[in-house]
Amino acid sequence: MEIGEEKADGALVIAPVGRVDSVSSGELERHVVARLDAGARRVVIDMAGVEYISSAGLRVLLVAAKRLKPPVGALVLCGLGPSVRTVLELAGFTSLFTIEPARAQALARIEATSAS
Amino acid sequence: MSTLHLLVQPRDGEPFRHEVQGEAAVLGRSSKADVVLADRYLSRQHARLVLREGSWFLEDLGSRNTTFLNDRPLAQPMPVRPGDVIRLAESRITVTEPGGDMPSPAVGDGLTGGTDERLPESTIFRPASELLAASVAAGESGGLAARMRLINEVHRALAAPITLEALLDLILDRVFVQLQPEEGAVFLRDEKGELKRAAIRRARGITGEPLYSRRLAQEVTEKGVAALVTDASADERFAKAESIVFSGVRSLLAAPLLDSEGCLGMVVLSAKSRLHPFQEDDLELLMALASAAAMRLRNIALAEETARRRLLDRELELARDIQMAMLPKAFPHLGGIDVSAALRPARTVGGDLYDVMADGERVWLLVGDVSGKGVGAALFMAVTKTLFRAIAPGSASVAEAASRMNRELARDNERAMFVTAFAARLDVATGELEYVNAGHNPTYRLEAAGAVAPLPGPVDPALGAVEVHEYRSTRLRLARGDAVLLYTDGVIEARSAAAEAVETLGLAAGEAAEEFHTLRLESYLKSCRGETAERIVQGLLERLDEFVGDAPQYDDVTILALRWLGPR
Repeated sequence: MEIGEEKADGALVIAPVGRVDSVSSGELERHVVARLDAGARRVVIDMAGVEYISSAGLRVLLVAAKRLKPPVGALVLCGLGPSVRTVLELAGFTSLFTIEPARAQALARIEATSAS
Repeated sequence: MSTLHLLVQPRDGEPFRHEVQGEAAVLGRSSKADVVLADRYLSRQHARLVLREGSWFLEDLGSRNTTFLNDRPLAQPMPVRPGDVIRLAESRITVTEPGGDMPSPAVGDGLTGGTDERLPESTIFRPASELLAASVAAGESGGLAARMRLINEVHRALAAPITLEALLDLILDRVFVQLQPEEGAVFLRDEKGELKRAAIRRARGITGEPLYSRRLAQEVTEKGVAALVTDASADERFAKAESIVFSGVRSLLAAPLLDSEGCLGMVVLSAKSRLHPFQEDDLELLMALASAAAMRLRNIALAEETARRRLLDRELELARDIQMAMLPKAFPHLGGIDVSAALRPARTVGGDLYDVMADGERVWLLVGDVSGKGVGAALFMAVTKTLFRAIAPGSASVAEAASRMNRELARDNERAMFVTAFAARLDVATGELEYVNAGHNPTYRLEAAGAVAPLPGPVDPALGAVEVHEYRSTRLRLARGDAVLLYTDGVIEARSAAAEAVETLGLAAGEAAEEFHTLRLESYLKSCRGETAERIVQGLLERLDEFVGDAPQYDDVTILALRWLGPR
């Protein structure tokens, strides 16, 4: 799995590419946790490059959400393909995350959250 | 004596010498300490050396990791003298005599100097293969006969089962008898490939901690050459380079522990005495011994690895037995219902669970699937099952039970483990079914009249994902003879051997088409009209086996079927 990154307007975009399954989720978790430990507080996880996510991958998203709970931080997901969205829905998780269609909206949402 | 001479070996820095003058010196990580040690595990002001009535005392300054003097924790200030070793966290300080007479203690691995250090010109390197051929060719002729006997003897001894310690002992025993060094040591590569001293032996009367040149070790172990350093002290540079070997060594012999797969370490011998300077013959003998030992060393390492794995396997088997024992095999004789369930873990232990529990006129049902796999998932499964047993019977509704279980599972759940679950309660007297779907696959209703459809209702988050959530339940009335089928996604996501092959070859394939999928499940369930719960479960397992073929089981599979037969 590759993990892309972008820094934009004081927010960090993390963009995993490939399958986030029980094998690769460990790598994503280490990456995300390292960024959070290093002080990232406004984070967008762009899932546009993710074709499949397993429950182990969902757990990584939850770990990030727990640590970025407002007012401490902000987490926005974006770029969810149909299969990723379905997995999120099946686990009953869509209500637990702030979700935007694409990266631009996600960054605008982060901006708005921290301004308020 | 009022000056204290120290050899300081910090964990994260280069060793250095330090002379403590005056009345006291603080040892610590702080830049304000008198002796600053680069060791992140050290307290800022860790310990102190104090001069009292002409003697130096060591005292701990309330450090986090305490201070050790000659490997004993320091309870009160203790006097120190040359030869004592002070340990602070992972750093060492050795108290030495003034001047250079005191041999330098070993730095952790017993090697010293840099890898770019130059070796004395008197050093002779011989390829290991050449030496081995020579010792075979020598046969029983001349003075080598005794040595050949020795090698045979070692080979015989090595044929019997032997521990690593005994093997190292044996090597050193033999070289001491035959080559009379003053000191011998065996270095082995650790799992990171770094050389560590594994055994050392000295002739009587020899003291001090020797250091062998890292450069020499590198030559021997990386190039697979044996080395003979004769009369080293005669070489000008060598005599000055204290770090190559301890001072005064006249002769040094080193051989790699080589087998067909590579180098495992080295054996090194040193002698001061001019009576027995090492010869090239000695190199041949040491090489022969080392290669015999190396073969055995590899076997021992493999055997230890196998033993460790076997132990782990046994632990996992035990965990599996405990886990399987948590699942009910026989179901409450309630009358009015027909229940059957099966769980097949994909690994030794798994994260799926089911339960069936009588509660007066009611029956509770649970099927769940913990995120992730392996031991962590298995432990979370056990907690979930235990909570269900404790919480469900006292709860007014399934929604309340789910909300309470969720609260318990989410508490202090830093790792964000969660369990998708379908929980239900059937009133056996009325056929009323109340259920909660916590992020789980929809349960199917198999109507007595023949229709098959997923149970309607909202999907709430999987249990453990959020601290507080009010779960919603749905109620409906079953008709007499209706059945429900609860399952985990291992059923619908089971993959055929063909799908595995496609994946392995990296070809694109419609994932849905290669999975068992809800369509196959629904079509099977439609064929189950009037079947017993056990037939429904077993029949589905058979269909899965047929579909999956030779492919390895990818995920845990759990199936639970219940038919309501009507009021008792």
